[in-house]
Amino acid sequence: MKLKADRATLLKALAHIQSVAEKRNTIPILANVLINVADGRLTLTATDMEIAVVEEIGAETARNGAVTAPAAVLHEIVRKLPDGVAVELDHAGGDAPLALRAGRYTTSLNVLDVDDFPSMTAGSLPNHFTVPASVLRGLIDRTRFAISTEETRYYLNGIYLHVAPGEAGPMLRAVATDGHRLARVETEVPSGAEEMPGVIVPRKTIAELRKLLDEGAEDVVVGLSDTRIQFSVGPVTLTSKLIDGTFPEYDRVIPRGNDRVLRVGKKDFSDAVARVAAISQERSRPVKLSIGHNLLTLSAVSPDQGTAKEELDENHVTYDAEPMEIGFQARYLNDITDQIDRDVEFLFSDSSAPTIVRDVASPSALYVLMPMRV
Amino acid sequence: MARQEEDKSVIRRIIHVDMDAFYASVEQRDDPALRGRPVAVGGSRQRGVVAAASYEARQYGVRSAMPSVTARRKCPDLVFVPPRFDVYRAVSAGIHAIFARYTALIQPLSLDEAYLDVTVSLAAHASATAIAQDIRAAIRAETGLTASAGVSYNKFLAKLASDYRKPDGLYVITPRMGPRFVESLPVERFHGIGPATAARMHALGIRTGLDLRGWDMERLSRHFGRAAAFYHGIARGLDDRPVEPDRKRKSIGAERTLEQDIHHWEQALAVLEPLVDRVWEASGKRGLGGRTVTVKVRYADFRHTGRARSLAAPLASRAALHEMAMGLMRPFFPPEMGVRLLGVTLSNLDDGGTPAAGTQFALALDPP
Repeated sequence: MKLKADRATLLKALAHIQSVAEKRNTIPILANVLINVADGRLTLTATDMEIAVVEEIGAETARNGAVTAPAAVLHEIVRKLPDGVAVELDHAGGDAPLALRAGRYTTSLNVLDVDDFPSMTAGSLPNHFTVPASVLRGLIDRTRFAISTEETRYYLNGIYLHVAPGEAGPMLRAVATDGHRLARVETEVPSGAEEMPGVIVPRKTIAELRKLLDEGAEDVVVGLSDTRIQFSVGPVTLTSKLIDGTFPEYDRVIPRGNDRVLRVGKKDFSDAVARVAAISQERSRPVKLSIGHNLLTLSAVSPDQGTAKEELDENHVTYDAEPMEIGFQARYLNDITDQIDRDVEFLFSDSSAPTIVRDVASPSALYVLMPMRV
Repeated sequence: MARQEEDKSVIRRIIHVDMDAFYASVEQRDDPALRGRPVAVGGSRQRGVVAAASYEARQYGVRSAMPSVTARRKCPDLVFVPPRFDVYRAVSAGIHAIFARYTALIQPLSLDEAYLDVTVSLAAHASATAIAQDIRAAIRAETGLTASAGVSYNKFLAKLASDYRKPDGLYVITPRMGPRFVESLPVERFHGIGPATAARMHALGIRTGLDLRGWDMERLSRHFGRAAAFYHGIARGLDDRPVEPDRKRKSIGAERTLEQDIHHWEQALAVLEPLVDRVWEASGKRGLGGRTVTVKVRYADFRHTGRARSLAAPLASRAALHEMAMGLMRPFFPPEMGVRLLGVTLSNLDDGGTPAAGTQFALALDPP
């Protein structure tokens, strides 16, 4: 195997690759990148057995062949090479080390047997559809903060992607919850996705995919089966196992009768939350919202540090229902308001019941937030 | 020690009352046909366990917690009686009422035994020993059952004493006798030293109370950590644990020994459902919420294992308990060998009387 590639091109691909490659070093070959030149085309592959990323990059190829070398080391070396330099990779085959030459720099890397590199095949992917990268970004950004990290609830450790009957026909929905809050975002069902099974896409896959979505591709081709999902984003193909579990019937926790409506400007609100919450480093201390007619008072108490309070009056707030008090974790509030552009709408029932939060300008997203006792 | 002996006023008077073969005696009392016969309370079926054995049965080597199969092998004439816990609870309440005539400081250990601190009751009575005699007489007169009692100056010795003349006996360990009483006692007979600790002590050459007394605090600490102070004390007949009338419950658990070993998750689910119900009901009844869920698995070869998980706030619903328990138990299935017992325990209890500000409410998500 022999090739010459532009440093910047190689670096970008290796960045994707090394982020998927296994870092915990339990199975050495999983820390390696598979460099393959076949029919004059160069592909790089990495996998942690849950996710595989394959990237095709432009290179001058001189000789076919394949080799595996440590992804993190290779990435680090290429990162430190001067910009604009051409990088030559040369492997004679078998156990021979991989030679890397760039300008007057040379290195020789130990390799592992290509035959030991696990292949993570997608198998047959009966459902295929194309979705604009911007739409996928919207689905991910507005739900991923709610993904649970609790291992015992493994079936919540991802985004539940499925087709659900909406008010005006079926919608493609992304849902995530950690048991304290839930985010549900929907979009039109892309052509080809109508029959797709509901799938839970793991958190790490979401994180890798999200990075790729910022790199200029207009559209993403999604292929999926019951057990695998594949995203093709430009030259990169990300294949992932799905979480084998049943997502809860989340619809049951979305309240229907919440009729106390509070509207507040997003920036005023989230800034006030941040200022009031700054009194306590403890994550679990609530920010209390005391709500009266067109008046919202945010307050927090820290047994050690003191108290803080801020009022938002009728210039910022509308509220016309019975006065009430309710507490929320500051971070939970801001995770949601971070996804809202201008105006936030809260729909309350009472101080211990699930609260609905919406973006006034964007009905496609709905958030459910459980309060804290205050 | 010396100082305690000088100042009589600080010497406590503790009585440990222990009903004799309680469940079995209640059954023999209520069914004359059972009197004089070896009786075991518990399930006779394949996986049953003896909950209590009458003294007749004990002569054959039948003991509580023994598998019913073993018990029947030891005593082919053994009569198995299903337990009637509601009756035992009622009798126990009656006995508690008798205790309450003498002191408010009553610490029940179970339905059939309790510690009483009668130090302050002494003014109205001749002695702690007299109180113990009165209590035993009242129990016999009012319930038709016999109890053994131990009287001493701390809980540890009172419990040893009640065991000393069982059944239907009374024994007193005075402060002067205490240290000597402990000297000859094998460490495995000490309450508070379990089989595992006893084995470790044996390995260190500690077999009796006298051996244990030869160890200073520093050496004990090195080997036994936090328990060292307790061992150091009891080796000298000292134990300053108070009688705690409203001793807080530390955990609420339920477990079930299975009729037959199970191997599949579906079978485990069927067992776990009622266990979760029982734990949740019990915690509800006592008004206690728990932050930690522990699951327990015992295999066919009696090895056991478990997993636990704690939350920042007490579990808010049965569904949450269910979900935690299932999630913790799931990795044990499929097991390498048959499973004979499953258990679920809720601990880190919080009485919820004053719910802490900052408790995060949870969404009532469906269990998977």
